[in-house]
Amino acid sequence: MVMEDAEAPHHMLLLRNFMSQGLVHNQPLLYASPAIDPRGFLGTLPSPAASKDEKSHKHDPDQEKGLRIAWQYKKYFGESQLNFDGQRDGKHEYSNEFDLRKPLERHFLSAQRVDCVSIQDSPNLSALQDRSATFLSQYPRNDGSISCAGRIAIQSFSAPQCAYSNMEWDMLSFIRSLKSMVRSSNAVALITFPPSLLSPSFCKRWQHMADTLLSVKAIPDEDKELSQLLTGYQDMVGFLNVHKVARINTQVPVILDATTFSIKLQKRRFLVLECLNQAPVDGSSGTSYGTSGSCSGSSKTGNLDF
Amino acid sequence: LRDGALEGEHAPALTIKDSIPFGFHVFCHVLSQLSSFILAGKSQSGGLVVVSFSRSPSFYLELLKKGIDVVSIQILDCYSDPLGWKDRLKDVKHMDKLYNSIVERGKGLIGGGKNRFSVAIDSVDEMSRHASTSSVAGLLSNLRSHDQVSSIFWLLHSDLHEARVAAVLEYLSSMVTSLEPENLSLIEHNLKKGKFHVRIKRRNGRVRVMSEEVHIEQSGISFINQGLVPKVQFSLELSEKERIDRANVVLPFEHQGNGKPIQIYDGRRSLADGGGEIIYFRDSDDEMPDSDEDPDDDLDI
Repeated sequence: MVMEDAEAPHHMLLLRNFMSQGLVHNQPLLYASPAIDPRGFLGTLPSPAASKDEKSHKHDPDQEKGLRIAWQYKKYFGESQLNFDGQRDGKHEYSNEFDLRKPLERHFLSAQRVDCVSIQDSPNLSALQDRSATFLSQYPRNDGSISCAGRIAIQSFSAPQCAYSNMEWDMLSFIRSLKSMVRSSNAVALITFPPSLLSPSFCKRWQHMADTLLSVKAIPDEDKELSQLLTGYQDMVGFLNVHKVARINTQVPVILDATTFSIKLQKRRFLVLECLNQAPVDGSSGTSYGTSGSCSGSSKTGNLDF
Repeated sequence: LRDGALEGEHAPALTIKDSIPFGFHVFCHVLSQLSSFILAGKSQSGGLVVVSFSRSPSFYLELLKKGIDVVSIQILDCYSDPLGWKDRLKDVKHMDKLYNSIVERGKGLIGGGKNRFSVAIDSVDEMSRHASTSSVAGLLSNLRSHDQVSSIFWLLHSDLHEARVAAVLEYLSSMVTSLEPENLSLIEHNLKKGKFHVRIKRRNGRVRVMSEEVHIEQSGISFINQGLVPKVQFSLELSEKERIDRANVVLPFEHQGNGKPIQIYDGRRSLADGGGEIIYFRDSDDEMPDSDEDPDDDLDI
């Protein structure tokens, strides 16, 4: 689940990457949004970036821990699901890099691969529930090998223009039911929602529901203090915070090197997440370089921040 | 608001938020400014629909009297009989009916095709009284996504609602302004000065924060610095003397040659008669040099 910032559309960058990645790897998609015509959003999905080297990508978990400049989809899956598509389809490497200036080829967006639902006018969530159940029934989890997987993307789930948006218990019920359906199928789901529009207690409940919880934050423009504090401030468009990482069927906790990342658009095409770097402190001011200051723009501290 | 929406984009939406009695002056100021741009043909929008809840339509006719062109401005009267007591067909409780009326009026103003119109709602408070927050939100977001709407703005008295309503409206806008009095205790007495704050959600995902001082009078508000200036250390304004001095600077290719043909020496021995000539057309006389063009503006998330 991704907590949106009402002042910035960065959750859309994450959604786009998630959706494109699935489509490129033959994972059908169910997409729901409050727009009257959700299909319009599909036109903005990015195409995979041309790979720089032709070497086949080894799915070495140790190597991937070093991958910082990439969308770490690994956080969404457990270790077991990671390798299923790796070597089967020789044409595509498991792609993390997408070029936002190049739209995804039309054939990926056919009706067989993408099903769209508009959630604005539904008076309650039963229609969405049924669509999700039908979609997920195609990817049952058997003991055998995984032949196919699916993805569900729900954008701005509690958007105020949705008729059910004041039915907080119903929305929570839906999330719980979706979570249980996803657990018993070969599928993953990404839900974005604006937390500022929920009551605080429900916001907390939703956060607990998430296996993996991220938040995005807007960045103020031309902020002199931030530009002094952060290197590369000019290129940043926002912040990403990792609050929780899915740990299913394991008791080993995840300890991340960093939980706050800056969101940059490299050459305006590639989504890049970078750990925040503090700019060197001016020696004459008296504070030493080693002192840690607050370099995160986010006010939410995750469970893993210490 | 004047520049409107790009193709395939939601129309810019402004929430004028206030908790002191002068928000309406801001609304009227924006209304008169935008309508004068529309009438002068200087905006993307070709017409304006004013949805009046808190003032009668005649108030707006008076306000916009200078240069009003009935062809470009329509006022949807939700003031006289909002609940349809006299006229059963009018009922503001139904947001989809209201939506259809607004769109119909707008299309009537500008015709079809690629033309666009703007919408001004004088009070979303009144709308929220009779309809649920989600239907009001639905109306506003549908207007924003309508491909013939250029821009939309509304006034909200934030102290009249639960915090969620203000949060919803801010969520739906691309710009939020608020007015802060200089000193809260002076509200009862003649309020003179205040601060006008703007938060703009830019296309590239950054938020621009600006503020400006305003004078508040009974007749309306006036901005002390024309043009909102972001907070920077440098002085970006010119004093009168500096303005005059700049106007007196002779630019290299503009000096008239005093009647003789201009000869530019290009290093060659002889200049053939009628050889070189430099023709310089200035782009625009009223465009300020170093205009605030932000190369990031076309970065569209």
